[in-house]
Amino acid sequence: MAKVYNWQIGREMDYPYEGKRPEKQFAMIFDTNKCIACQTCTVACKTTWTPGRGQEYMYWNNVETKPYGYYPLGWDVNILEKLGVQEMDGPVYKGKTLFDAAPTGEVILGYLPEDIDYAHPNIGEDDCTGLMPQGAHLTMPHMQWMFYLPRICNHCTYPACLAACPRQSIYKRSEDGIVLLDQSRCRGYRECVKGCPYKKVYFNAQTRVSEKCIGCYPAVEGGRQTQCTITCIGKIRIQGFLNAPEKVNEDNPLDYFVHVRKLALPLYPQFGLEPNTYYIPPIHVPPVYLRQMFGWGVEEAIATYKTVAQDKKLLGALTLFGATPEISHYFRVDGDTVIGYDAKQAEVVRVPIKEPIVIRPVYDATHKAYRTNIT
Amino acid sequence: MRSRSLALALVATLASAGTAWAQVPLNVVRVRGAGPIIDSAAPLWKQSRPVHVAMLPQTVTLPHNDHPSIHEITVRAVHNGGWIAFLIEWEDSTLSERVVLDNFGDQVAVELPIDAKGAPPSPMMGNPGGRVNIMQWRAAFQHDIDKGPPTVRDLYPNAWADVYPDEILNASDARPYSGALGIENPISRGTASPVLDQMAEGWGTMTVKPDQHALGKGVWKDGTWRVVITRPMVSDDANAPRFEPGLQTFAAFAVWDGGSREVGARKAWASWVPLVIGR
Repeated sequence: MAKVYNWQIGREMDYPYEGKRPEKQFAMIFDTNKCIACQTCTVACKTTWTPGRGQEYMYWNNVETKPYGYYPLGWDVNILEKLGVQEMDGPVYKGKTLFDAAPTGEVILGYLPEDIDYAHPNIGEDDCTGLMPQGAHLTMPHMQWMFYLPRICNHCTYPACLAACPRQSIYKRSEDGIVLLDQSRCRGYRECVKGCPYKKVYFNAQTRVSEKCIGCYPAVEGGRQTQCTITCIGKIRIQGFLNAPEKVNEDNPLDYFVHVRKLALPLYPQFGLEPNTYYIPPIHVPPVYLRQMFGWGVEEAIATYKTVAQDKKLLGALTLFGATPEISHYFRVDGDTVIGYDAKQAEVVRVPIKEPIVIRPVYDATHKAYRTNIT
Repeated sequence: MRSRSLALALVATLASAGTAWAQVPLNVVRVRGAGPIIDSAAPLWKQSRPVHVAMLPQTVTLPHNDHPSIHEITVRAVHNGGWIAFLIEWEDSTLSERVVLDNFGDQVAVELPIDAKGAPPSPMMGNPGGRVNIMQWRAAFQHDIDKGPPTVRDLYPNAWADVYPDEILNASDARPYSGALGIENPISRGTASPVLDQMAEGWGTMTVKPDQHALGKGVWKDGTWRVVITRPMVSDDANAPRFEPGLQTFAAFAVWDGGSREVGARKAWASWVPLVIGR
């Protein structure tokens, strides 16, 4: 095994291949505080990429309710249980990654789900942790809680699927870090399904090979964000490119959220894959749960989020979420406006950080009609 | 049974190290007839003396399963001057021909050095410069041919979908939605043969050849697979061995029990067995 540096766990770790970062890394940020699990993203992805035979239960994008929702069933608690209790008491992770914990004869610690585990994509939907007693009122963090977790392939820096494939059928593109599965080379061994802890590689029983999220690469190559991002009605997502910590560019919105402000955190960083989808943690959920899911720094991220109304640059950057189908490689806050720029520094979007308030008169003289407030 | 398996394993190991052959050779008996030999119940197999081959766990490359469920196969071989055929039998109490996420198919493979007259390459799927021909029979392909390829409804009787792209789009527009089938991945479907004709030059290099020459048929009955794998003794394929009467070469074998989730490198294998082509 080679030694590679995983900045999310603050240390070197073992990986079957040499650590070589792509020129730029596809990444996505989700604001879990804004997601309402409407599944528009899921449907957009489904109709774009996986409406075919054998793909019926294949959701490259899904949104599950935490803590009792999973797709496939129990994907995270299953692998957490196999990994066992690990030590995580600071930015340097002292526990075992899934590569460290690989049993004899395996590349990585993993498990192959049962077919039936995919039968209930919305299991646990809207289920709360428990009931509020009579007369109780919510305080922060909430005593009883749930939140929505949108998920796609993490296009990991150190993908488990790629490491587990004995045929090198899975590759990570050097130009954008998107992880792809070669449909002509795959032989359907399902080692990738077993190895990916996020269970974001799916087996197609009709074609007898595996398939996975392609990061909407045809769109991304053209400078557009993914389908799941641009269709999100809650504007909870932004997709772009993330630099490694030593190459941070504060003008890149993703670098700004992840590296500079540390507002967006990776999903289960302790697995050791350096996943590249990042989450602004839900501020109402007890940090003890969130720390297991998003790693060290959850409390600080929540504290930062609570001050965003007074933080014009951060608020401006957040305003870019859902503001344009184009990828914003750079951004700048100019007064009360945030401006997004493409890779060539050309302006692609200009958004007011605060929407102007317009008060319309009760009587519309043009249409000779009275306006009634029906809300 | 176990002691015999260990003895054969030792023989196989010595053989691969270049020691004089002590393994019982597999004599490829000349039989009458012409054309492909694919009937596992044909009387001609009685002319061939069976060779018992100990199957060992593949433990050299990752991933591996240290305890594969099949410990021995029995192999017979014949040729009719035009085609060479192997009849491979092994006990398997479960028929595994349905492939879904958590179901794997039974498989067996014969490996032959492409340069049949030279020193044998690595028995583990060859090595750079040491090409091997691997003919792999799959129970799922046999099912495709015997009973038709399974539909989603066959695999999941209660499946329901409102509409598929191929029901509302023309064939070329619907093709991108058919995944590996749309680009004719040879693993997706058995075509005319349940046997894949492949070559390799080391781990991870297995490639299905553009010209398919291998044929065969597998029958599972009373807890036993009887699988015939056959190919022309001579073909215009540069990546195939050329057999002639009197030739002494080698054959190696691998077997997968789908019921035990054996697939890919998780297999039982046997090193080179001497192969003598009868005159």
